[in-house]
Amino acid sequence: MTEVEKKCIFAQTVDTAPDGRKDRSSASLKAQQAGESGWAWSIVTVSLCTGIAMLTYPAFELVDVAMIYLLGVVITASRTTKWPALLTAFLSVAAFDFFFVPPRFTFAVAQTRHIVTFAVMFFVTLATSRLTLRIRQQAEESQLKEQRTAALYDLSRELVRERDMDKLKAIAEQHIGKLFDSNVVVLLPDLHGRPMPPAREFPWSEQEREAAQYVFDNRQPAGSNALTGPDAVALYLPLIASAGTIGVVGLRQKSKRKLEPEQLRYLEAFINQTGIAIERALMAEESRRASVKAETEGLRNTLLSSISHDLRTPLTAVTGAVSTLLDADARLDRQGRRELLETIQEESDRLNRVIKNVLAMTRLESGILMLQKEWQSLEEIVGVVLNRLGERLNDHPVTLNLPASLPLIPFDGLLLEQVFMNLFENAIKYTPRGTPLELSASEQLFTVTVEFADKGPGIPPGQEERIFEKFVRGGTAGGGVGLGLAICRAIITAHGGRIWAENRPGGGALFRFTLSSAGVPPLPEREE
Amino acid sequence: MSEDKELILLIEDEQQMRRFLRITLQSHGYRLIEASTAQEGLLQAASRNPDVVLLDLGLPDMDGLEVTSRLREWAQTPIIVISAREQEQDKVKALDAGADDYLTKPFSANELLARIRVALRHSIRGRSGRPEPIFVFDTLRVDLSQRQVFLNNNEVHLTPLEYKLLMVLIRHAGKVITHRQLLTEVWGPAHAKEVQYLRVYMTQLRHKLEADPARPRFLINEPGIGYRLKYDPDERTSIK
Repeated sequence: MTEVEKKCIFAQTVDTAPDGRKDRSSASLKAQQAGESGWAWSIVTVSLCTGIAMLTYPAFELVDVAMIYLLGVVITASRTTKWPALLTAFLSVAAFDFFFVPPRFTFAVAQTRHIVTFAVMFFVTLATSRLTLRIRQQAEESQLKEQRTAALYDLSRELVRERDMDKLKAIAEQHIGKLFDSNVVVLLPDLHGRPMPPAREFPWSEQEREAAQYVFDNRQPAGSNALTGPDAVALYLPLIASAGTIGVVGLRQKSKRKLEPEQLRYLEAFINQTGIAIERALMAEESRRASVKAETEGLRNTLLSSISHDLRTPLTAVTGAVSTLLDADARLDRQGRRELLETIQEESDRLNRVIKNVLAMTRLESGILMLQKEWQSLEEIVGVVLNRLGERLNDHPVTLNLPASLPLIPFDGLLLEQVFMNLFENAIKYTPRGTPLELSASEQLFTVTVEFADKGPGIPPGQEERIFEKFVRGGTAGGGVGLGLAICRAIITAHGGRIWAENRPGGGALFRFTLSSAGVPPLPEREE
Repeated sequence: MSEDKELILLIEDEQQMRRFLRITLQSHGYRLIEASTAQEGLLQAASRNPDVVLLDLGLPDMDGLEVTSRLREWAQTPIIVISAREQEQDKVKALDAGADDYLTKPFSANELLARIRVALRHSIRGRSGRPEPIFVFDTLRVDLSQRQVFLNNNEVHLTPLEYKLLMVLIRHAGKVITHRQLLTEVWGPAHAKEVQYLRVYMTQLRHKLEADPARPRFLINEPGIGYRLKYDPDERTSIK
């Protein structure tokens, strides 16, 4: 069905009028117009029948002539409505009497038995016309029904496919609008149960708002065409779902015509479909919110227990060391004092790292963090990290392989620094002293791939993905909330890259991540 | 310690931070005035004329940027801002508004003292107005009068822009310089946002002047802020 045809199902006649011109009227109008031309039909048909009968009579008998008229009645009934058909029947009997029944060309009847003939003929024609009419109506109705069902099916099929509330509304508004030749809006209530004003163009006023509110509160139609509720320019119908009224549908017809009761019934069917779809979307949204909430709460609990452990451990060491220094100052030798002070320093550093990662994760997840992308040089960022790690890298020789041909990459420098920082800190934490670390990068097809390899125990098989999850720690060694790699992944993902881990064939872990190097920064002109 | 040691104004609202800084600074002989609000700090700065101002960026009554701007309206006193790591933008703004350097919490006493020394050195030099003809850092020697750069006594050839960039870094030796300041001084205000120029030229400089460009010893990147030519007047480096 084309869109234009679809539109015809409700707003226009299905059939072509008898006179051959395409009739653009409604069903009731159609009956009326078919009636007007129907009168002509009956007169023309009866005249034609009379003409044909004249040619055949008296070669044919009176019974045959009656049959010709009967045929005329059937034809008229199949083309017109009840009253023209009735007129045809009446005229046929009259013409039969006038032209053929002796004495001919008078309405007088010579033999009484002809009266019976007239009566039988009249009732037969009447019955035939009624039967024909009914058959025709049924055919038309079933065709219309079929088309309407198809349209309804189209709507529900499209609604089922969609999950987004705004799109659902748009689909319903478009379909119903087209089928009923109207401007349609779906109005959902706000938190206070007040239908929200239409987001798209729709004539809206205090009167319309009141009608919509009435519909929402009373579950009864209101507005133009409605028997209940306040009057308004548009017609408002309740959007009913299993949980009650979930909204209001406003419909403003483009023409001034009244909607037929049958059209209203179909409109209701369409609105019900829409109601079901919207309720489904509302419920999905609600359950999504609930699960996000549950997940957030679960996360928060894990985070709290994890953080409180990771903050308390170094804090306990610091407090302990300090209280020893304060209380037993006299009994401590130089060496002992120094060790306690070093403990305080190391544990404070550790505290700082934990806090930094927790903050970074919180900011990354809450979306507060705005990426400050600038053209960055990998070598420079790695340099910062190596400098910052300083002595902590003394036990791990680092080999760098960063070709001079590497391009600048658009990246948030501080976040990239944190990625490298976390990778190095993990390596320091989880690989034995003296094992080497290798950092290399290469560019291919506008993608820079960075590889960070160690010679430690590697990743437990099957855990290659899990280690990027939050609060998953690589082992019992060291401390840490288990956020390091999760932060790396969050950062790389936020930049459109990928990060993953694997075990090296010769032992040790290998971390890889990709960064897009597409685009060329405006560079200064080369000198010399 | 000597009686005429420099006077430092500390504007910080956290009592524990003030205590730590007081003990550290006084144990190194500096004289100290403390202010717990920006208003009080500005008053003290006007009446006592300190040699260095240590300014916390998280003051309750005024933001650090405003304090910096107000101080700069009438004083050239070096300002070192102290801030948390998450305030990168605030730091850059304060630096662009005239602050001389910054410290990120938590910091060690050594870092703090080094920053103060650099700031004091710059303010003395600024007052005397005497140009420094030769800059030496470890194996690097720059003869500013001859426009020559030596590494291990071998002359290194720099392009005019590389040299200009190095000059700006030397002029601010030890202090951080924001991207904007560097770009404005070397390429002009029209290129103040082209950070990638700096990436390219700093890389070139490092490859020419650093033994291991990926582990730079003096051409230091300060992510999100700018660059710093590492230099401490009291360590081995010196300006002769």
